Amino acid sequence: MTDRRLGAGRTYLLLMVLAVFFAGPLAWLVLAALKEQSEWVAIPIHFLPEAPQWSNFTDAVTQINFLAYTGNSLFLSGTYAVLVTFSSAAVGFGFARLKGRGKRPLFAVLLSTMMLPSILTLIPTYVLYSRLGLVNTYWPWVLWGLAASPYLVFLFRQFFAAIPKDFEDAAIIDGCGYGRIFWRIFLPLSKPVLLTSLLLSFTWMWGDYLAPALLLDIDHTTLSVAITQSYRNPHGDYIPTVQAAAATLYVVPVMLIFLFAQRYFVRSVVSSGVKG
Amino acid sequence: MVVQKAKRTAPARPARWSRYSGRTFYLFVSPWVLGFLLLTAVPLGYAFAISLTNFDGSSSLWRWVGLSNYRELMRDSDAWASLARTLAYTALVVPLSVAISLGLAVLLNRRLRAVGLFRTIFFLPSVVPIVATAIMWKLVFNRDSGLLNAILERLGLGAVTWLVDPTAFYALIILTLWGLGTGMVIMLAALQGVPIELEEAAVVDGAGRWRVFRHVTLPMISPVLFFQVVTGVIMSFQVLVQPLLLAETNSIGAVTNVPPSTHLYMVQVYQEYFANQRFGYGSAMLWVFFVIILVSTLLVQRSSRFWVYYEVDRDQND
Repeated sequence: MTDRRLGAGRTYLLLMVLAVFFAGPLAWLVLAALKEQSEWVAIPIHFLPEAPQWSNFTDAVTQINFLAYTGNSLFLSGTYAVLVTFSSAAVGFGFARLKGRGKRPLFAVLLSTMMLPSILTLIPTYVLYSRLGLVNTYWPWVLWGLAASPYLVFLFRQFFAAIPKDFEDAAIIDGCGYGRIFWRIFLPLSKPVLLTSLLLSFTWMWGDYLAPALLLDIDHTTLSVAITQSYRNPHGDYIPTVQAAAATLYVVPVMLIFLFAQRYFVRSVVSSGVKG
Repeated sequence: MVVQKAKRTAPARPARWSRYSGRTFYLFVSPWVLGFLLLTAVPLGYAFAISLTNFDGSSSLWRWVGLSNYRELMRDSDAWASLARTLAYTALVVPLSVAISLGLAVLLNRRLRAVGLFRTIFFLPSVVPIVATAIMWKLVFNRDSGLLNAILERLGLGAVTWLVDPTAFYALIILTLWGLGTGMVIMLAALQGVPIELEEAAVVDGAGRWRVFRHVTLPMISPVLFFQVVTGVIMSFQVLVQPLLLAETNSIGAVTNVPPSTHLYMVQVYQEYFANQRFGYGSAMLWVFFVIILVSTLLVQRSSRFWVYYEVDRDQND
């Protein structure tokens, strides 16, 4: 019995050490955001700020047009999330409930595109779009949204495939077409998956760096790009404490979404990773 | 509640209906099909077309150069060195992250108090956006003010300049491992999916904890491990943003500050495109990489039958 309790004690010690590794950098970010510039470079290194410097946060939102960049990020991520959720739901419905020639090979292609590194297409896409005049517009995100995401299609397909056939048979007897079956029966049933999809795709785009960095100039870009390129002193050096404050403000929405909706993240991760 | 189905058959569906259903299938999947063709296949094909030219991104004075970009790439020692570094990075990161996330999952799969809190803490970093991740790790690795050197200082050890060579490579690996929570959650679910009777039966047969794990649990979750290896390899091949943001590069094209040890293949591609304005050459590099990724995915897939255990019914939900 004592042996067992000892084992639990050791496990907790290990878990604590790991927790420091995983939470430490986040804590350090927030601490840096609360330090005065002179305190950040103090020797020896201070762990805790002497007095929290909230002015870093006001500097972070006033030195750049923080609100406008936040608006860009929100608009872009929101538009993408709504579009990609509905397009992926429709495609997932098609693969789960409808028959058509070539369905199996098409689905195999879909699964293998999940494996295709997006980076391979992103740079050529940038070259192509700059010639088509789509750079510095939000159209690329609209197009990506309309095109559905293989990952989310898979998520919806798994959910729709598990719904009993009686639902659609009854609706067909009542004279419904598949459009209405999808819209009136399957979509309302899939509210948790819809929410998962919205949250996931929103956080993807909120966190995306490369696409806005390539496709948008500094006036149109998102918060993620803006905070990496701003906050310098006249010599061109970064002001780490203010940048830390900006980065803190930037991650807070994602953290909140995650903490309140953790089970949706877990669900999506699990259904793609375990059944996949 | 299971309702015994009476002899109520599904409504008879005439040929007209199945034609309708077929058309509707294409209608429903068309967003993805069109999207795949226009937003994936077309850019890839376009990249192949430019890889046969000396296009520099802006001027209209370009011409076809045949395969000369590819021939040059064969002799490009910088590109090969960056590929070798990418392989070394992958060879370190993938086994480490699979092993550690499995270890964490085993740890969290025990009935302990507050285990949910630890799961949240370990999972959290994987949703932190890449930009914030890079900024905070730069603060942690900072030579004069970083958390890591603060700890070393307290232990009486000297400060390390982490973000230059040779340590930059390991800093990049640590940053990558920090975000392994997704893999951990997947493995945790996989562990919870292993039928408890199997493990109990092994215990009854006299197997110790390690042998149960090695010979029952591990084979049962090997398909999940396999999936993690495949996605892990693909993910680490395409790493680009982390080295760019960890180095003090702050505008598109300025990749000169990336320390050599984290100058991975995609960084090299990026440099050819945006620093050297060699769009044709960069596209050739992309296409060669595309083929390399395809081949290595197939190789991993091939290797799966030697170490992945599938239950009889592989595609039951089809």
